[in-house]
Amino acid sequence: MPYRLEVENLNVYFGESHILKDINININNNMVTSLIGPSGCGKSTFIRTLNRMNDTIPTFKKDGTVLIDGKDIYDPDVDVVDLRKKVGMVFQKPNPFPKSIFDNVAYGLRIHGLNDKDIIAKKVEKSLKEAALWDEVKDKLEMSAMGLSGGQQQRLCIARTIAVEPEVILMDEPCSALDPISTTKIEDQIHKLKNDYTIIIVTHNMQQATRVSKYTAFFLHGEIVESGLTDKLFMEPVDKRTEDYITGRFG
Amino acid sequence: MDNQNKIKTEENLLLRKVSKVVEDKMERTYPRVKFERKLNCLKEDVEKIGQTSLSAYKKALEAFINYDAELVDEVNNTNDQIHEMSDEIELEAMSVIASEQPVAKDLRFIETCSKVSGHFKRMGGLASNIADIARHLKDKNIPEKPMNDITHMGDIVDGMVSKSLSAFLNEDLNLVRELKNDDDKVDDLFDLALKDISTSMFQEKDSISFLIYLLFVARFLERIADRAENIGDRTIYMITCEKPGVAGRLDELIGDKKKN
Repeated sequence: MPYRLEVENLNVYFGESHILKDINININNNMVTSLIGPSGCGKSTFIRTLNRMNDTIPTFKKDGTVLIDGKDIYDPDVDVVDLRKKVGMVFQKPNPFPKSIFDNVAYGLRIHGLNDKDIIAKKVEKSLKEAALWDEVKDKLEMSAMGLSGGQQQRLCIARTIAVEPEVILMDEPCSALDPISTTKIEDQIHKLKNDYTIIIVTHNMQQATRVSKYTAFFLHGEIVESGLTDKLFMEPVDKRTEDYITGRFG
Repeated sequence: MDNQNKIKTEENLLLRKVSKVVEDKMERTYPRVKFERKLNCLKEDVEKIGQTSLSAYKKALEAFINYDAELVDEVNNTNDQIHEMSDEIELEAMSVIASEQPVAKDLRFIETCSKVSGHFKRMGGLASNIADIARHLKDKNIPEKPMNDITHMGDIVDGMVSKSLSAFLNEDLNLVRELKNDDDKVDDLFDLALKDISTSMFQEKDSISFLIYLLFVARFLERIADRAENIGDRTIYMITCEKPGVAGRLDELIGDKKKN
């Protein structure tokens, strides 16, 4: 099976700082991959490279290749808006637009040129159901999204992301601001979503990595120290630094 | 004298201050000092239950060879203590898992502590069985051959119980290998004892009534040896993450460990 995402010899610099060093990783289709590592190790920079969010930073420089379905996403002919439709992102803090619940989910559909109200309504419903939010909001779709709880807002952001039917979903610590029940709901969603999407999740919660992902990569000082099957990495890490990190023995 | 006392108190105060500073510094540079302390406690408790089982076993064997009713009571009381210790270790292990969410070697270590203490608990139970049975054998004229088989078994098992504890505590795969060899010897001696006991039974029909109990002693010893070997297997798993039953690969594993 070809990989959905192939990263080869990726180096990222912000000005003089060398943030990511020789990253090589292949990510399978329809599977959840966790990225773990201490703060500032380059996990977020890495996933932001995958949908070219770093392009907005003037000092950003990179070499190496990032292929999605075999196509280099940094090719000059790549349309960044299209790319971000294909590679959706959910952030650490829920960030709904100050609009109605319905419009939040419909927003992406509209900017990608969809005008048919019936189709939009159907897609909004489908996305909200996939994000396990539909039952809680179906009677108040016109209410402002800002009135939802943190966990609901985050699920709304997931619904907004999947509405445009991306292929890859990047999640940057999606549960770190949520209570355990909302976290469970989102993890359940990740389990269901992985059948249709390729998911990459950054998490500081090791238990979450073991719960949701099949593969895990451990980042340290901008390098991938170790990557492989999650069960193996957490039970029998090969590299001493991985063992020290996951067992909490970092001096 | 007063002056000396004053100096001593000041010294103590200073020492306490220094150790506090050292501990604070450790807490900062080594974030899981408390967790490490819990793991050490667990290890100490497994050492305690191991030592207690070993002493119960030695006493049981002694009661079998030179019957002493007080010794039998002692073994039974120790067995009760061993049960309590094992329950405590199990709770302690669960509490560390719940509060610290250990992974990798830490998790394997905790799981192993729980399993090893379970094996020592069974050994204590079997020692108590031997002590109870000794009652039926006191003042009996046990034929020399089966008696020799069983005392020989008893010696090897004695070594195995202490080797199993030491293999776990010192993560010593060489001792695990010795345990495997010892267990083979015990199994052979068990077969031999069965043969010798049945021969004696045929020779002297009256002896059947008490030689039956000797059969049980042989069986209990063989079970204790198995438990010791199981502790060895658990130790392999704890160190290498290899499933138990990899005796054929022990040399290779020991080689790997030396390299690390």
